[in-house]
Amino acid sequence: MKQGSRFWRSAAAVWWRNFLAWRKFWRSSILLNFGEPLTNLLALGLGLGAYVTVMQGVSFLQFIAPGLLAVTSMNAVTFDSGFEGYDRLNSNGVYQSMMTSPLTVPEIVAGEYLWEATRSLLYGAVFFVVVLAFGLVHSAWIALLPIPLLLFGVVFAAPALYVAARAKTHEQLFYYFSLVITPMFMFSGVFFPVQHLPWFVADIIYVLPLYHGVELTRELALGQISLASLWNFLWIVGYAAALMYLPVRALERRLTA
Amino acid sequence: MRLSLPRGRLSSCGGVSGPRREERFRKEAKQPKRVVKVVNQESAAQLTDNPVIVAKGLRKRYGDLEAVRGIDFEIRKGECFGFLGPNGAGKSSTIRMLSCLSPVSDGQLEVLGMPAGVAERRIKERLGIVSQEDNVDPDLTLMENLLVYARYFRMASGEARQRAGELLRFMQLEHRQDAAVRELSGGMRRRLVIARSLMHAPEILVLDEPTTGLDPQARLLVWGALQALKRQGTTIVLTSHYMEEAERLADRLVVVDHGTVLERGSPRELVLRIVGREAVEIWPEDAADSERIAEAARPAVRLSDRHGDALVLFSDEPGRIGEELVRKQAVPARMMVRPANLEDVFLTLTGRDLRE
Repeated sequence: MKQGSRFWRSAAAVWWRNFLAWRKFWRSSILLNFGEPLTNLLALGLGLGAYVTVMQGVSFLQFIAPGLLAVTSMNAVTFDSGFEGYDRLNSNGVYQSMMTSPLTVPEIVAGEYLWEATRSLLYGAVFFVVVLAFGLVHSAWIALLPIPLLLFGVVFAAPALYVAARAKTHEQLFYYFSLVITPMFMFSGVFFPVQHLPWFVADIIYVLPLYHGVELTRELALGQISLASLWNFLWIVGYAAALMYLPVRALERRLTA
Repeated sequence: MRLSLPRGRLSSCGGVSGPRREERFRKEAKQPKRVVKVVNQESAAQLTDNPVIVAKGLRKRYGDLEAVRGIDFEIRKGECFGFLGPNGAGKSSTIRMLSCLSPVSDGQLEVLGMPAGVAERRIKERLGIVSQEDNVDPDLTLMENLLVYARYFRMASGEARQRAGELLRFMQLEHRQDAAVRELSGGMRRRLVIARSLMHAPEILVLDEPTTGLDPQARLLVWGALQALKRQGTTIVLTSHYMEEAERLADRLVVVDHGTVLERGSPRELVLRIVGREAVEIWPEDAADSERIAEAARPAVRLSDRHGDALVLFSDEPGRIGEELVRKQAVPARMMVRPANLEDVFLTLTGRDLRE
């Protein structure tokens, strides 16, 4: 019990460090993480939406908005864990200085998850306001949205932090973004239903976390709750649990040589 | 929270004006509840024999490379202990192991009576670590850097804020407390790292090359701070390749090279034992001149060496080399007589090859 409270107090200290650093740049940070999905929403939703009027029974704009919300969270988490994580490890010694204190690597990683969960929630919420303003939310189920958003903080931070710990250069981080994150974004059912893809593509997509995040967010926004929603939720929980420990070893190797 | 450093008694190291010091004492008087544990002069000066760090046959391997090859040392409570050696000698590896930043490959290492590999967290709680890199947080202000670090040690925030203020004054950074770290000079960053390492009032302060890259003013300030801490009873462990630094600060030191200890002792003792009391530097005209002078001085010379184009002759008896040269009418055109120093010891022990 006492051990547990120490663990979370340490993690909270890491969270606080990240919060103080973020506070200095929060305006530009929100603008950057917000601009891209908003552009997508407007350009595709209104532009392409003029031709593709109905998708799975709802307007195209309505179809893509919840998925873009999930993507906003994913990107907010991935960029911070990837790029900032890389810098914390390689250029400004933030993790190294933590290691001169009694903090341990699992506590540091837990603190990063708390922080990324916060970011996911925050950037998701900002985008949610836009979606709401467009009148694209039709269900009270959306009140449950914070739960998957918090989980995204772990699901997407874990692999990004792992890549940051293993990457030797900034370029190697870009591989992760352009070979993993971007394709996942394009294919995970944000813009079109996955069922119409060739089966082997669909099967790959089906095991990726973003797909379930997009589906669940859409189901919550449109009130299309079914057993499938629970299934999507369990996939996300499972991903969080499975990936959680991934960066710990990689960071330990870097920080305790 | 253990406080071995007398909190609130940190006097600024670069000379504090009278009124300011008075003001601080007044402030203390107003807070009678705070327990100020003052380490008295006696206990600080008394170098007890109980060691706070003991290493036996300590080794560090990185794959095929063995950076530390079985070294032994004991560091006593309250002393300043130095690791002196050229680049790549194994100083940093050793100090990283005793800071619990790097696992011990082989041998024994006890810090504050606890085995280094097992009790990492408990050891780190009582250790102040100043790494070679200035790893202060560039995204935070000076004050925030200290407060965040205090949280890592689970210090209460009121206590942390007060302590941070004291330490910023101690390192003469109080006027920049709300500045962003990005704007600081190298010397200021280094002072901030030292202030940060003192937040939790550590019993042992471990510094890896504390003044490398600093200008002379900043270096003096850091030295002053370390001497003040030592007077207050903090054990200090440092690595350096600056002889002047080691001579000034270290009570005892080991000279390490290629991962082994070459010599150990106090700076003065090492100088007398290894090179002698006096050094005479001579710049001969040519090789023949050099030969002639060396021959003339021989009876008085204990050890001779070459530093660049200078011939350096060492003697245990001050003035004897000069006498010999005068007697044999071999006084060189250019010569300089000076006390032998740690640099002579260092160059004698580790050679003059470049280490890169």
